Amino acid sequence: MVVAGLVVLVGVLLAPAGSLLYESGGPEACANCHEMGRQVELWSGSAHQEVKCGACHGDALTMDARVHWTNARRVAEHWMGRIGEEPRLGEGQVLEMMSRCEGCHEQEFAAWQAGPHAATYERLFLDEKHNHTRHLMNDCLRCHGAHAEGAIGDVVAPLDTKGPWRLVREELRGQPAIPCMQCHAVHREGQVLGRKRLEAKMAGRQQETHRPGLGFYDRRSRAGVRAGLLRVPKMEDNGRVLRMSADGRQAVCYQCHAPLAGRQAGSGDDRTPKGVHEGLSCLACHEQHRGTTRASCATCHPRLSNCGRDVETMDTTFANAKSGHNVHWVACADCHAKGVPRRR
Amino acid sequence: MKRRSFIAGTAAVGGAGCGRGEGPAPGYRVLTENEIRTLDAWCEALIPADDAPGASWAKVPRYIDIQLTRKFRRLLPRYREALAAMERWLAAAGVEGMAARLELMEQGKAPRELFADGGKDAFEMVLAHTLQGFYGSPRHGGNRDYVSWVLLGVAPVPVRGREQAETGKN
Amino acid sequence: MRLPEVDAVIIGAGAAGPIVAKELAFAGWRTVLLERGEWNTAADCRKDDLRNQRTSILGHPFGPEDEGNPRVVVERDGRLRVVEPSAGGYHNNAACVGGGTLSYGAMAWRFHPHDFRMRTEYGTKVPAAFADSTLEDWPIGYDDLEPYYEQAEWEIGVSGDDSTNPFRGERKRALPMPPLPPTREHEILWRGALRAGLHPFHIPMLRNSVPYGGRPGCMRCRWCVGFACEVDAKCGTQNTVLPRALGTGNLTLRTGCQAQEVTMGPGGTATGVRYFDANGERQEQPARVVVVSASAIESARLLLNSKSNLFPRGLGNRHDWVGRNLQGHTYTGAYGLFADDVYDDLGPGASVAICDYNHGNAGMAGGAMLANEFIRLPIQAAGIRPPGVPRWGKGHKDYFRTNYRRLVAVQGPTQEAPTFGMRVEVDAEVKDKFGIPVARLSGLKHPHTIEVGNLMAEKAEGWLRASGAETTWKKGAGQGISGGQHQAGTCRMGRDAKTSVVDENLRIHETENVYVVDGSVHVTNGGFNPVLTIMALAFRAGRHIAGAHRVRG
Repeated sequence: MVVAGLVVLVGVLLAPAGSLLYESGGPEACANCHEMGRQVELWSGSAHQEVKCGACHGDALTMDARVHWTNARRVAEHWMGRIGEEPRLGEGQVLEMMSRCEGCHEQEFAAWQAGPHAATYERLFLDEKHNHTRHLMNDCLRCHGAHAEGAIGDVVAPLDTKGPWRLVREELRGQPAIPCMQCHAVHREGQVLGRKRLEAKMAGRQQETHRPGLGFYDRRSRAGVRAGLLRVPKMEDNGRVLRMSADGRQAVCYQCHAPLAGRQAGSGDDRTPKGVHEGLSCLACHEQHRGTTRASCATCHPRLSNCGRDVETMDTTFANAKSGHNVHWVACADCHAKGVPRRR
Repeated sequence: MKRRSFIAGTAAVGGAGCGRGEGPAPGYRVLTENEIRTLDAWCEALIPADDAPGASWAKVPRYIDIQLTRKFRRLLPRYREALAAMERWLAAAGVEGMAARLELMEQGKAPRELFADGGKDAFEMVLAHTLQGFYGSPRHGGNRDYVSWVLLGVAPVPVRGREQAETGKN
Repeated sequence: MRLPEVDAVIIGAGAAGPIVAKELAFAGWRTVLLERGEWNTAADCRKDDLRNQRTSILGHPFGPEDEGNPRVVVERDGRLRVVEPSAGGYHNNAACVGGGTLSYGAMAWRFHPHDFRMRTEYGTKVPAAFADSTLEDWPIGYDDLEPYYEQAEWEIGVSGDDSTNPFRGERKRALPMPPLPPTREHEILWRGALRAGLHPFHIPMLRNSVPYGGRPGCMRCRWCVGFACEVDAKCGTQNTVLPRALGTGNLTLRTGCQAQEVTMGPGGTATGVRYFDANGERQEQPARVVVVSASAIESARLLLNSKSNLFPRGLGNRHDWVGRNLQGHTYTGAYGLFADDVYDDLGPGASVAICDYNHGNAGMAGGAMLANEFIRLPIQAAGIRPPGVPRWGKGHKDYFRTNYRRLVAVQGPTQEAPTFGMRVEVDAEVKDKFGIPVARLSGLKHPHTIEVGNLMAEKAEGWLRASGAETTWKKGAGQGISGGQHQAGTCRMGRDAKTSVVDENLRIHETENVYVVDGSVHVTNGGFNPVLTIMALAFRAGRHIAGAHRVRG
């Protein structure tokens, strides 16, 4: 009994001590763990190379027992020759990471928080109207709750159209289902542009296009795929090939706001502009973190448009695909039913 | 004692694989630096770089190294043997002689004192794993940045939306 | 532990078991369905191209586990080889709820009427096919199954359009869903077939093309056969009949349960099933009716392991027919390279077929449906090359990057002439993790099967040429036995107890209450993927059982 107690005590003390030894050496020491090598390698070439491991992942002095447990388990697995897949952040860690992102990227975080992409698990998975009429399936997790462990049945139950529905893990209720790491990867090859002051002067599309961390978290492979490897689809409108903006960042948007396989504009969840706004990038109107477009018309249009209308008060309804005012595909002919006047 | 070596020492105590003899190459799980160097040249000869990267850039040896601790555990002794034999064979010629030697192995004509069966077995094993590491999903350690899929013109993640129609009652 | 008696116990929740379960549960039977695997989902395979049911290089997600489930394969030279489930030669069929129907390609074929009467059609015309084979007529015909084919098509859900196929049995009702829009490859092959005077049509598929049964249509990704569907567009037993059956409250599904033997009472009456539950504990489930639906290899193994006074050599094996006639299909075909890209990244891939060569080939007994193939992921296509192209080096890389998107494959499942030598036995020494003797597979294909298969490869090549392929080459027939997902034949259906295992209602001869319902009972396996026939037989058997046995209270 006493011996057993001693063993437990030693164990309890040893695991954090081991973690401390392991981590106090900084990134080099982290790389001592062979399984961790690739992550350290990616990080060392990334925009976050100046941010040390502990700043995001916490250090050995944490009281979080899971950290020590995971470390101990990995050593044990290594010992037994049953080494797991590459280490990656779990669902909980991805959510915890968000406050660390906020620590440096305050403004972006606040913008995201105010926009629709900050929707919680509760909002997305317990939507009565949706669940009564649509099938709950694993593909939902491609965009919503992509970091969730397990299958759709491990997130929401029951999987029918009768309900009542509940979250299988109540702790997810208030958590964001589209976290930072849905569209950003911290360990990603590529250099930061430079000093903050310089960045401020170069703000704009150019800068963002070259952000190395932009990408889409592919739930299938449990890894972020950088934006440069994603494709903006060649969209069509009833057989006519649409002019598409060259903005590569849109490729990330298209992963979720995606057309059906036939690539017809407006099909599925697609909102490719095809009327007077054809050729505009998603991000020309949508602020990338807040997602909203309010007041963005004024960025391009004079307050009174050529038609003599106030663009700020125009009905630009976008939720209704059939609306003639839908800003994504409003065409000249929608207003000029008797023929579009010639340019003066 | 420097902190670095002290840590390395504790890591060696912790992980059995790290402690025995020559340790794994940095960033790898089981294969040593020499073994990785030979394997890297071997894989690269099977899928060489041209205007597009080859097996080495795609990290095919890392795929093999990872799988040698997982699904291919039982193949580790065969790998060690094959890599040691290849290393001896190349000692004179260097890696430039690799492709010509692999051709001999494919036909089972490698020196019998190095490969008991003339090299066929080892050749087929490494070829199969190289194709897997190059063309398979990056999640297993190879095909870095989907390099082969880009080469073949396959989007790593296809864009696919869903019909918004209501599916009705279950 | 001896559990309370139920009306029926069904072993295996694959293509057939849940259908029988649904028929019985709706008839008010208290039913237990045992499945050795788990209720897997798409989250368990994550579209991993090296680890799925089709390409199991790094294992497979839907079971059985590699550890503790070996089989023994008898090599041509007589040597024994112990294989694990993800290895070649094991002839694996997924072990999970839904079985193969969770991850299959989902072709939904009705057999051709001639497929049910091979002796009548070819007995005198092609004697070579009957030398040393057990090729025979079924005791039932196409017309007996037609209503149940229809039931399967509508209850489980089939899309497609075979109205332009003149080589098919009569269909009383059209398919419930239209086909998916054509791919580029589909259109090229369709035009080529017409040029060659063939009769192309849209393959019937157990896959939603439009919302059906409360589930959405296919989103056309490239990860289909071998994977579980992320949008539930593929219709398996696990997302159709099984939830409905569970909804009655009469059915209990127990996963992680490995059957050991069917226990027999006095006379020909089974008392139930002895099995190991998910905790590895031995259980006994008494039942008034026992249904074995474990697929051809495992059903035969279970019967051979169920020895009793009446059946000392295994249940139903008095005349040594259990485990014989193991057959899948002999897949042959051809590849073609086109001048331009044909790959448009629209799944699932297979979509156009011809049945011109299923029957009526001069000097041949039977043939095969020919169709284009499912999308081949890069790793699946990396070994496909015309003769003379190197397998590695710069030559390989140049060839593959130029031609990956120009490759079309056409192939078909040649129906086999079964023989006594193609068989499942239980091994005397090798046991699974529960100590139950495992299946041992042996035998070679009948030579006539190889001839037919090679003819089908020629026909496939002809179709590709007519479609404009610039370079074509054939994939001929192998020598070894087939099985895999199409495994069938090991508990033959027949009227004569001396030359078959079950009667035309699928009840084991000389027993009162033991049924085999899966591909095992197929006398021959048609020139088609067998799953819709297995499903139709299950609906028919379910209805028969519910009517033939009285339920208490």
